Amino acid sequence: MVSQRIKTIRQESPQGFMIEWLDGKVDRYTLGELQKACPCAACVDESTGLRRIPSEEVPQNLSAIKIESVGRYAIRVQFTSGCSRGIFGFDYLRSLKGMERK
Amino acid sequence: MFGKKAVDEKKSPSIIAIAAGKGGVGKSAVTANLALALHRLGYHVGVIDADIYGPSLRRMLPENVMPEQIGSIIKPAISNGIELISMGHFRQDAHATVVRAPIANGLITQFLDQVQWGPLDFLLIDFPPGTGDVQITLSQRARLSGALLVTTPQQIAVLDVKKCLRMFDQVEIPILGIVENMSYFVESSGQKVYPLGKGGGRALAEQCGHFYLGDLPLHPLIGKALDEGRSLFEIPGTEADSLQQRFLKLAEDVVEQTKCLEEEEKQALGSFELTWQGGR
Repeated sequence: MVSQRIKTIRQESPQGFMIEWLDGKVDRYTLGELQKACPCAACVDESTGLRRIPSEEVPQNLSAIKIESVGRYAIRVQFTSGCSRGIFGFDYLRSLKGMERK
Repeated sequence: MFGKKAVDEKKSPSIIAIAAGKGGVGKSAVTANLALALHRLGYHVGVIDADIYGPSLRRMLPENVMPEQIGSIIKPAISNGIELISMGHFRQDAHATVVRAPIANGLITQFLDQVQWGPLDFLLIDFPPGTGDVQITLSQRARLSGALLVTTPQQIAVLDVKKCLRMFDQVEIPILGIVENMSYFVESSGQKVYPLGKGGGRALAEQCGHFYLGDLPLHPLIGKALDEGRSLFEIPGTEADSLQQRFLKLAEDVVEQTKCLEEEEKQALGSFELTWQGGR
């Protein structure tokens, strides 16, 4: 029920950033990985649930224009690919696999 | 099971707005049942019915003790252990409150500043519909811990609730969560029917990054109990029990969210915008 909240968020490279959560966990995300997991309607077909943009077509060096908070439990990433509608809930962000966690 | 909790008299109560931006979604019904559920959990609860033009909480929570004015101080009514102040205490049922906004604001300010509450854990404020003068006065003056947004599933309600969310964003009141009221009814076959559509509240919560606190059923017992001014928690039977459990769960979630929020506000990063460097 209780979600985690962000203590710190910091850009670490042109393609990546880190989030330190209130429970002390640190997660590192690359923008390419996030774009592949973007839940917005432009990226995922609502009726079939299939991704509209195949993962292999997302460039590895994808970057961002900005990241902003949405309410208390989500961020919105404006990717350089043009997608700016994806809202990543904190629970969703923490559940994403394949990210470095220490 | 539900023993009285010792209230810390030095601690200010957590003040929670129950709002929607739209009329008819059942804010007052949710407020009344949430107050009863919190009381059942052992908390000391006060309620301000801030709907100056259409107060209904006096009917839902009829008083054992009437409010009393002593000089500039107003002592609230008491309804089965819940403290309540409402415009409904100061005029007859069938009479409309015909006042312009500055007068309404003055009445709300009196409710906020001049009511002498007992030691409370929670003060619930049932917001009037809309996002006008009174709502802004309440948001700015009530030292709100957070707001619980009530919607119904259909898009037209969700759109108005979204406006209300923006108002709270503008005045930097955190949102405790969104609860969907009148979501479904259960047919005699046991099948759930969704007369107003399905999933509007959850979608809104996900879209806005707020907690979804679940759905509440459309059930004749809820309306009947409130019409009769009878606590849902005094009604026997399995159907009432199931509704009681649902409101107790909502109350527990609200308590948990409020505590988290008050704790988190001390540590968490608030609203932010991280502009990317060297990304183009």
